[in-house]
Amino acid sequence: MAALFSKLATKAFPKSLWVYHCNSGACNGCDIEILNVLTPYYDIERFGMKLVGSPRHADVMLLSGAVTRPTLPLVKRAFEAIPSPKLVFGIGSCAAGGGCWFDTYNVMGGGATAVPVDYLIPGCPPRPEAIIYGVALALGLVDKKAAPIELKQVEFPIDAYLRNKAWEERNVIYRLIKD
Amino acid sequence: MWLTSKIKQIVLALKPGTVTLKYPFEPRPAPKDFRGQPVWDHTKCIGCGGCANHCPARTILMRDLCQDIRVLLYDGARCTYCGRCADLCPEKAIVMSSEYELATGDRNDVTQSIELFMLTCNRCGRCYDMEIKNVIDKLDLRGYRYDSLETRTVLRRTTDRMAPEILDETGTFHRPEKIGG
Amino acid sequence: MPYITPIINVVLFLLLAPLFEGVLRKLTAKVQSRQGPPLTQPYYDLLKLLGKESLNSAGTWPFKFAPLLAFATILTVAAVIPFGGRAGIFAGRMDAILVIYLLTLGGVAVLIGALAGRNTFGLIGASREMATMIMVEPLLAMTLILGAVKIKSLTLVAAMPSAGGASYGFSTVLMLVVYLLALQAFVARQPFDIAEAEVELLEGPFIEYSGPNYALFKYAMMLKQMFYAWLFVSVFLPVLRTGIYPLDIVLQLLAMLVVFLLIGLVGSTNPRMRIDQAVRYYAVLIVVGLLAVGLGVQGI
Repeated sequence: MAALFSKLATKAFPKSLWVYHCNSGACNGCDIEILNVLTPYYDIERFGMKLVGSPRHADVMLLSGAVTRPTLPLVKRAFEAIPSPKLVFGIGSCAAGGGCWFDTYNVMGGGATAVPVDYLIPGCPPRPEAIIYGVALALGLVDKKAAPIELKQVEFPIDAYLRNKAWEERNVIYRLIKD
Repeated sequence: MWLTSKIKQIVLALKPGTVTLKYPFEPRPAPKDFRGQPVWDHTKCIGCGGCANHCPARTILMRDLCQDIRVLLYDGARCTYCGRCADLCPEKAIVMSSEYELATGDRNDVTQSIELFMLTCNRCGRCYDMEIKNVIDKLDLRGYRYDSLETRTVLRRTTDRMAPEILDETGTFHRPEKIGG
Repeated sequence: MPYITPIINVVLFLLLAPLFEGVLRKLTAKVQSRQGPPLTQPYYDLLKLLGKESLNSAGTWPFKFAPLLAFATILTVAAVIPFGGRAGIFAGRMDAILVIYLLTLGGVAVLIGALAGRNTFGLIGASREMATMIMVEPLLAMTLILGAVKIKSLTLVAAMPSAGGASYGFSTVLMLVVYLLALQAFVARQPFDIAEAEVELLEGPFIEYSGPNYALFKYAMMLKQMFYAWLFVSVFLPVLRTGIYPLDIVLQLLAMLVVFLLIGLVGSTNPRMRIDQAVRYYAVLIVVGLLAVGLGVQGI
């Protein structure tokens, strides 16, 4: 009986995630975009997510803002107050890696210095569609689009050498005069 | 009397119907001139390092592996999509694409890296003589750039930013007395 | 037959209470012009809460005991009431005073939980919940006693139908109006969800609860909503009694759905009242309710 309930609970978990919003020193741009996501236009309640006021009721912590020195222990305490299983979304470039201020005097870095961030949603601020895309990625509704890109200009200077030679062959009259 | 106003309120609220966008299931393109993720074109980049010098979040890092090869690493986690690198690039190799669906679980998924071959000119393909000073070397640092790609930070050395003659000039610099003078 | 009725009552209440709550949430979403969660969303909510770890942050036994007490009292009430007009084995022996007592005990369980949590927001939420209970319990008592004074008997089976059935007089109509105006506070929705004020108090009395304890509290709240909707249908709508037991149940459920639509519409278009405004509002309603009971004694 307990096994049946635990299986049902695991299946019900992605369908009803409750969200707690924690602002650790943000400029409020990402907070306004999070508020936009809760409006009727980009409704997030159709996925079952609800905004709750207490971290004890929540499953997901939405972290916005670069973690500053005074808010570092508070973010850690709020994270510990969330009962497991839990997730952390880092919203915006500041939570992802510290933004422009990653090495300034009052900032510890991104969200990863305080809590283990599971999904990061870069942007400054991220569009509400980007936040919904991140949530849908966590729920498994869409595939991941970002992938590392590696490019190389030339392996060997063979292309340049051949181009050089072709140029010289086109201008062959100059070579004759020089000779 | 408040009852009729409440009924009017309900009728007014139900008139637009449902306005929710079906976003993850239907694509929603970004508006024109939207600044999404910057994309480098490796056929145009000359490796001048202008973007790396001016990035406010110091997200673009450059390192000279040897005399021939320079590596440019765009570590996109801190990028604020300001567009300064695209404005600055002399060869217009950086384009701010309209890609905003960048959520991921791993920081390395938003990086772009280019290996640049520095001994030949990117437009005509001939080797240029490193002995004779060309424009790129006049702009750039003395010595090599060696940002730390492992810890993703810029290691700055402030002494070798200016040539010594320019450094000497700063001692005798006078502000012009009138505008245009 | 009388032995099965309590079991049918409990099963129906347990299965259908989250569905009615889902109807409320969907209706609120539609009034706000958005799509809203699916109708079965509260089932997923309760299942998910059962799967979380339970952090006993207060470390005292009343903290763990309070949700069980709230859940148990409301289930007892569900077992006792004559759902569908058919009295179970208990309904002939239990009377209206017991129902009032059990519902008050449920409210006290919420208070115990809030005070055991040792959180300041919980304390404020507990004091507001106490004020709401004091305002609202007399109206519940008057609704149940209205039928009792007409037929001079306090048992549930006699008191509830007779308020409507035998003599549907002016006093019943007055009590109907009073009940409708007080319904929003019974089910703890806007404009009277003062105790559980979401934005002001971070969910008030339940702030320290997590996991299965919170699931029990939420379930108790949903069952209470369903009970109050049933109370309205059973006392004030005597026409829905055909005598066939399954048909009675279906008719009563449909009528409860209409009452829930009304609750949803009023709840989503009104702001929240302050505690002193609410107390003044309820003082007027208590006086009118007493007037209705007095008229009922005279037989009007």
